[in-house]
Amino acid sequence: MLRHLALALAVGLLPAAGLRDPAAQPGPARSGTGLPQLNAPVISAPLRPESLKFAVIGDFGDGGQAQYDLGRQMWAARAGFPFEFVLALGDNMYGRQEPQDFVTKFEKPYKPLLDAGVRFFGALGNHDKPENRFYPGFNMGGERFYTFVRQHVRFVVLDTNLMDPKQLAWADDTLRTAPEAWKIVYFHHPLYSNGGRHGSNVELRVLLEPMLVRHGVSVVLSGHEHIYERIKPQKGITYFVEGSGGQLRKGDLQRSATTAAGYDEDRTFMLIEVTGDEIRFRTIARTGMTVDSGVIGRRSTT
Amino acid sequence: MTTHALPHPAAIGSGRHTAGALFHFTIEHFLLLPIGGLIALVWANTRPESYFTLTRDLSFVVNEVGMALFFALITQEIVEEVMPGGALHTWRRWTLPAVAAVGGTIGAAFVYLAYVGFQYELVLSPGWPVAGAIDIAFAYFIVKAIFRRHAAIPFLLLLAIAADTLGLLAIASRQAFVEVRPGGAALMAAAIALAFGFRQWKVRTFWPYLAICGPLSWWALYVDGFHPALALVPIVPFLPHAPRSLDLFADAPHGRHDSPRHFEHVWKYPIQMVLFLFGLVNAGVLLSGYGTGTWALLVAAVIGKPLGILAATGVAVALGLHLPPRLHWRDLVVVALATSGGFTFGLFFATAVFPVGPILAELKIGAVATGIGVPLAFAAARLLHAGRFGRHAHHARPARSET
Repeated sequence: MLRHLALALAVGLLPAAGLRDPAAQPGPARSGTGLPQLNAPVISAPLRPESLKFAVIGDFGDGGQAQYDLGRQMWAARAGFPFEFVLALGDNMYGRQEPQDFVTKFEKPYKPLLDAGVRFFGALGNHDKPENRFYPGFNMGGERFYTFVRQHVRFVVLDTNLMDPKQLAWADDTLRTAPEAWKIVYFHHPLYSNGGRHGSNVELRVLLEPMLVRHGVSVVLSGHEHIYERIKPQKGITYFVEGSGGQLRKGDLQRSATTAAGYDEDRTFMLIEVTGDEIRFRTIARTGMTVDSGVIGRRSTT
Repeated sequence: MTTHALPHPAAIGSGRHTAGALFHFTIEHFLLLPIGGLIALVWANTRPESYFTLTRDLSFVVNEVGMALFFALITQEIVEEVMPGGALHTWRRWTLPAVAAVGGTIGAAFVYLAYVGFQYELVLSPGWPVAGAIDIAFAYFIVKAIFRRHAAIPFLLLLAIAADTLGLLAIASRQAFVEVRPGGAALMAAAIALAFGFRQWKVRTFWPYLAICGPLSWWALYVDGFHPALALVPIVPFLPHAPRSLDLFADAPHGRHDSPRHFEHVWKYPIQMVLFLFGLVNAGVLLSGYGTGTWALLVAAVIGKPLGILAATGVAVALGLHLPPRLHWRDLVVVALATSGGFTFGLFFATAVFPVGPILAELKIGAVATGIGVPLAFAAARLLHAGRFGRHAHHARPARSET
């Protein structure tokens, strides 16, 4: 226990007493503050062994060197933070998507993770072939939108390429009836973003946000912008943009009043731990440097 | 110094006259639609939250209900043109423009699909009918402005009607969401049977067709997942009709078209309001939402469609069909470029194919951006000395080719 406490203090996972708002805890690294230290050690010990641990990546499947590097870093991180599965936020494949491409753009970069039994749960992005939902490696069960539960967390995965009424009704019903304490929703296009290329998708926000607020969703994860950004809580929900798992639009983050933290200098992935009424997150760059971290409190689900 | 609190009565009269003339001009030139679109674009990019909140509430009523009146009007005009005595009676008048329309649709679809395939964004593939859409009114006014009275005008109108009919057939079944139920088919059968009955009973007013058959047909399409804006299309052919000449957007001639019983007479202004709302609800897109779909649509509409029209016409002429008298190839190039603008039909097809989301937004931007066809058509006319830019244009006698 003392060892966990010491490690948490060392890497900033433990928040200051009484601080629950991530906006009040800016990450240790910021865009434009200089190049990350190469070969910085990854220290990512979970606070509680029984907690739910998972990783998050988005916009990654291009088969480039950076994707392979990040895959290795994720594997290294897992030594100290044994995450069970990975949320893939869409654009899981870029370019040609023939069977051989699934090997070079997914199976090889994450081979150690896949061999260790880590499962990826995909959402569809605009670059993904719709048929990719049938690819076993993305565990989508052939569905564009689906849900799964791990411990006391309900994950709801949406296809924001095509936000049809049927999907909306399904999501509303699924979130409304979910008895789990935590509700985490992820999809490709961000409702809030300060990325220079796309920005917030306000049309989707008008459609989805009331439902997310109404049903007690605590965290929403998206990609699409090839940067990392954490948005200050909006109507109680913390939004993350994690779209630099392989692709990167360097220097594209246009910080605004809604930006809590961000990083646009290199590729990143996230590690998330759910313990009781708290989510602890950490965002790690390709070099191993932690670029953001914090704690999110659970919203009431009733 | 004195100031007048109220304007002089003569000024009021003059102001009223000016306002009336402006209103008339706006209605006659179908300008309410682009005005609505312009307002939407500015609104969406300055106050997006309020804009999208409003459109979320309005879009169903406008797109799925109100637009049924617009398509009823289009259907009415086509039915009256192809009936005996109408401008398009006999298949011979249709053949070459219809072939050109097929070519344009294929050309646009080919370029669109090739582009999205090349960019590996196959989620956009179902949007190919959007690329073939032609805004009939928009294209008409461009060609009219270039050629005034010329064989190019009826050729363009026939081409546009045929191309949009092809597109409507392609999108009528929104495959991803269609689920034909026996109840829906029965409702549609009942709607058509009633319309047939009204016709047999010589019911001259359109109201029973609209108020009884219309909702039945609308509900039938809606429950089966087809686009309900097409609800009046199978009903309108049963309405009383009078043949018309091919001048779709000019003042309707006196006679039966002016009758209060006539659909067009009663719905002329409400349909313009529907089109204004259609532009307001659908044309508002965040300009940062452009993407592969935008470029695919633009390239397909501006390059693929005109090339397809010219290629198909070339093949048809080589096989023995004849161009209409006084319609030269240079005129045809201008006509083909004038078909680039998708606007109303492009936006409608896009909303019919894709639900709300970033994919739809990309295509909407593309549909609006196809307006680039206007300067291209004028530039081509100037370059090729077509129509009003002809070397002897001022000596040309007015043609009588619109009949």
